Amino acid sequence: MSQTMIGDRIPHDELMTSGHLACPGCAGAMAMRMVLKGLGPDTIVVMPACCWTIIAGPWPQSSLKVPLYHTAFETGGAVASGIKAALDVRGDTETNVMAWAGDGGTFDIGLQALSGAAERNENIIYCCYDNEAYMNTGVQRSSATPSGAWTTTTPSSHPEAHPKKDILAILAAHRIPYAATASVAFPVDLVDKVKKAKEIRGTRFLHILAPCPPGWKYPDESTIEMARMAVHTRMFPLVEVENGRRWRFTVDHPGGPVEPYLRKQGRFRHLSDEDIAAVQAEVDDRWELFERRVKVGT
Amino acid sequence: MKKVIMGNHAVSWGAKLSRVEVISAYPITPQTQVVEELSEMCAEGELAARFIPVESEHSAMAACIGASAAGVRTFTATSSQGLALMHELLHWASLGRHPIVMANINRAMGPGWNIWTDQNDSLSQRDTGWMQFYCENNQEVLDTTIQAFKLAEAVDLPAMIILDAFFLSHTSEPVDIPSAETVDAFLPKREAKLKLDVSDPRAFNGLVKPDSYTEMRKDQHDAMERAFSVLEDVEAEWERLTGRRFGAVEAYKADDAELLLVTSGTITSTARHVVNEFRDRGEAIGVVKMKAFRPFPTAQIREVLKGVGRVAVLDRNISPGRSGIFAEEIRAALYDLPLDDRPSVFGYVLGLGGRDVTPAVIEEIIAETRAAKAPKREDLWVGVNS
Amino acid sequence: MSQKRQSASPDGEPPAVAMSNTSTLENKTGSWKYIRPVYQDQIAPCNATCPVGIDIEGFMNFLREREREEACKLVLRENPIPAITGRVCDHPCEKACHRRRLDQGLAVHAVERMMGDLILADLPDILLVTRPEKIAVVGSGPAGLACAYHLARLGFEITVFEAAAEAGGMLRLGIPEFRLPRRVLDRQIEWLKALGIEFRLNARIGDTVPWNDLAAFDAVFVATGAHRGRGMGIEGETGPGFRSGLEFLKEVNAGARPDLGQNVVVVGGGNTAIDCARTALRLGADALVLYRRSRNEMPAIAQEVEEGEREGVRFMFLAAPVGVNRNDQGLENIECVRMRLGDPDESGRRRPVPIDDDRFTLQADTVLTAIGEVAEFDFLPDDVEAGGGAVAVNPLGGTSNTVIFAGGDMVEQPRSVAYALGSGKRAAIGIDNYFWNRGEEETEAEDWDSFRFADGNLSMARWYGDDPISRSAPNNRVVRPEDINLNHFVPVPRHEDKQLSGEASAAGFDEVNTGVAEQDAMDEANRCFNCGVCNGCELCMLFCPDVAITRGKDGERFHVDMSYCKGCGVCAEECPRGAIVMTREGL
Repeated sequence: MSQTMIGDRIPHDELMTSGHLACPGCAGAMAMRMVLKGLGPDTIVVMPACCWTIIAGPWPQSSLKVPLYHTAFETGGAVASGIKAALDVRGDTETNVMAWAGDGGTFDIGLQALSGAAERNENIIYCCYDNEAYMNTGVQRSSATPSGAWTTTTPSSHPEAHPKKDILAILAAHRIPYAATASVAFPVDLVDKVKKAKEIRGTRFLHILAPCPPGWKYPDESTIEMARMAVHTRMFPLVEVENGRRWRFTVDHPGGPVEPYLRKQGRFRHLSDEDIAAVQAEVDDRWELFERRVKVGT
Repeated sequence: MKKVIMGNHAVSWGAKLSRVEVISAYPITPQTQVVEELSEMCAEGELAARFIPVESEHSAMAACIGASAAGVRTFTATSSQGLALMHELLHWASLGRHPIVMANINRAMGPGWNIWTDQNDSLSQRDTGWMQFYCENNQEVLDTTIQAFKLAEAVDLPAMIILDAFFLSHTSEPVDIPSAETVDAFLPKREAKLKLDVSDPRAFNGLVKPDSYTEMRKDQHDAMERAFSVLEDVEAEWERLTGRRFGAVEAYKADDAELLLVTSGTITSTARHVVNEFRDRGEAIGVVKMKAFRPFPTAQIREVLKGVGRVAVLDRNISPGRSGIFAEEIRAALYDLPLDDRPSVFGYVLGLGGRDVTPAVIEEIIAETRAAKAPKREDLWVGVNS
Repeated sequence: MSQKRQSASPDGEPPAVAMSNTSTLENKTGSWKYIRPVYQDQIAPCNATCPVGIDIEGFMNFLREREREEACKLVLRENPIPAITGRVCDHPCEKACHRRRLDQGLAVHAVERMMGDLILADLPDILLVTRPEKIAVVGSGPAGLACAYHLARLGFEITVFEAAAEAGGMLRLGIPEFRLPRRVLDRQIEWLKALGIEFRLNARIGDTVPWNDLAAFDAVFVATGAHRGRGMGIEGETGPGFRSGLEFLKEVNAGARPDLGQNVVVVGGGNTAIDCARTALRLGADALVLYRRSRNEMPAIAQEVEEGEREGVRFMFLAAPVGVNRNDQGLENIECVRMRLGDPDESGRRRPVPIDDDRFTLQADTVLTAIGEVAEFDFLPDDVEAGGGAVAVNPLGGTSNTVIFAGGDMVEQPRSVAYALGSGKRAAIGIDNYFWNRGEEETEAEDWDSFRFADGNLSMARWYGDDPISRSAPNNRVVRPEDINLNHFVPVPRHEDKQLSGEASAAGFDEVNTGVAEQDAMDEANRCFNCGVCNGCELCMLFCPDVAITRGKDGERFHVDMSYCKGCGVCAEECPRGAIVMTREGL
């Protein structure tokens, strides 16, 4: 296949409606749409506080055509566990229960409940759409914020000093049957992962990078470009991990400098050439780690 | 069937007979036997429920909320710090109108660490929209657990069954255990009015704007008020089946009393004993047991305390900077009575952190109350070492 | 709330929770936007570059969609002889192909050839004359064939006059059989005859047929080509051992096998030169091509040069003959001077400048000159203006005589089969236009722009106004490299032609280039980016964060619901082929 023709590769059914309240060019909205295409209508969504709390529309609206339970910030893993238990006990073993959380609700405040659910290997799908900061509250740093990034709590004079938390490795360490990263710039890969996850029993974790035009400060139309560059530059490799052991890259990562990726985003505008070199070193180091995982895992 | 069981197991039996479907809990002293017994029941196949052994009380409540939202009968139990950790989700459960039933074993809040009985844990959750029922003995614990589901599911509010640490939780008493048939007839399988359902997909708990939030709160409040009349019906039906009835408020030997003790939890039993002795001597002392704290039985309290000269409220709790919490609420409830009918309320703070409230302590309180013209303060601390 | 009530819910009534009962479709979030996407098809660079004016992108897309018949029909709209152009056209389209930025340009010729062969294998239906006018076409080279064909399709009755005994003009006379097998040419002509076009052979106008005989026709298209070899301007070039390369090719193509001696020097760098060298090689000679500029400036098709090289043709660049030495046996050698490249000339190529003191001689038994031919048009009536070696024509091939049109090598344009075909088509449109608008004012040149692919050649589909491809808000701008989003394409190696080995090919006149297999040609079509034209890949639909793009109805490929489009521009940015533009709101 010389070019991407979506055709039958991704279902045409829409489980998300227009008129939702996402910002223009929101990758979080794209991610939800693609994931639901993979899961289908027999799905219940649990949504801890995140941008999507707003995107879903105010009462009495909903932008999803599947049941949706809005819940408190840190409870994604636990509420999903409860729903799944309830369905099980009433004999419904097929309905997908998906927690849909942002990076704050996953990396930070929701990590405990997620870890609990993963450790118990609850039969749920947990998706984190990661826009790398608390965007809904106005761009405060989270533990998913990458090194060097400006946020309103890591101002340009003291940008984010810590590398992004390796959430996938944390989940993989729970030995859950399936954990993967995905990107809206690689929709076929994303939906394939969702479909694969759907067929697996136990806890399945999907970490989707979701570039954010207002938070990352790039033009609305560049969302897919940002998502793609993150993968191509190895800032955000696309991998999957089965049973915490078998690591595999799912697309090609040509590599190349991260500088163009950083330079296209206002949140990195303050970075000096040395700063960028430091980010590059971090990315290279992490890539080496990924390569080792893949090598050991196969 | 009569069995000699501890209070915690009475909770477990109540939950089992209620055929709870999802249980999610996290261990904390002195609650552990509740869920240990239930785990055992699930494992043995006596109870067809899913037990989710979560990693915190917060997640226990979250899982219960999820399960309840999916339409099944849901139960948990906790105590003290655990209940405090749940605080956020207690609101969520109630405003989400999930009829979850939870047993809370009253235990003091730290620090320092104290595992003994004290009502400050549950009373701190006063405004979360949970019904609160303080039980006196193991029979009441079991019966109330079953009744709580019926009531909660009728008014779509969660309910907390509260029992004293050790004095009830770990104390064995003979308990009449109703048959499964009896309970099944009383409490059929839950049919949720609203639930997460892929055949009727709805979003729950989305953004509610200022133009609608108050209405939602009012409905919650109205449901709480309505719970009294539903409780009446529930108790009547239970009495018909088992011959037992407790009431939101119970007046014991209160007729013509010059002084009424107001109690909750196990102190009530001690107070009954003391009152019996006073009555035997012909002295008109009675007890008013408050079982329901939320919804607050304002009308019943007014009715029973109206015109009584002195009322001594025994609070195993303290709202720092104010007074005992029951006393405070009772004063507020009585304020609208005509001045002549309005009793003088003596608010005693006692028994905190599990300190024993003996008959002698209560006798002393009676004596002090009778001797005083009026309470010196709103908080009368009993036996404070200083 | 789920129910608006004053009192608490009685038994069985649901509680007042924030439960949805409607969707976000109530929110017309389209009001947020200040720019909006517009599907606007543009012109693929191949189409804009094609001298014939073929909708290359269009037929590639039909092939990708497995609509082979539609693809063939589309080619035939513009080009009557794809089996021939697939073999001998120099395909400027391939040089313009945006795919070159990813891997290699599309092998358009291979796909065209495959389609041409398919068409010849199963010839389409015969057309009927529907108009009263009769048109004479003088010359049956590619220009004449194209003009005759297009006019026939327009309903005119056509008679083609050909001086030679067989139709085909330069296709038959000038192009060696190893590049264009005669069976292919014959079959093409046969089909044109079957369409109702009458061919009168051995009919040289102004000679065997007097010009006045054409008075019976309502209009005449003249395309008799350029046949007289240009001289080098050196002393002795007309003597023994020197001959015109074109004349040599004509002789061999007619079946003769002249003896050239052992050493043959071909002077020139165009296709005629290469054809001469390769033909000489096949007659047993050692062939050397002498070209005054370097390889980069050679006008010959690169592939032909490479094939010649493979067969054993030698090349000498940056040298030109300046003198001739003869002895009793005839030619002894030629004297040459080395050249260097100077400043660019008017053609943009660097001008060769002699290095006067750097001379040498070359052994030669025969020198074939192939430095260009000049057209002769003495036979034309006096009122047809000509000058500078060409008949003066307007953009529709019209001469100063309103019923005489001209094209091919007789007019000022690059000399190639493709340009000849293009000029024939232009004149057909000119003639059609003349009969529709007789007595009306002449159409301004710029008014014809809407019938062109950008500033390329006229399109029959546009002239007829029945383009089979539904286009959204078509715009006549050529897709720029930056309009293409390469990320949505995966490198796939180009399907290269198969060829006889050098040894096998030099041994005879069999077709050297055997093309690519049918399936490979189909796969090659899949490599097409479909620059500028929506091919329904659905990426816009999938990437739209607002679910505002759906499959269109009634010929519209996609529909954007402006009530919900927030104008983020992701669709336009990610469109692989530049078929969506963002426009300002309210303008």
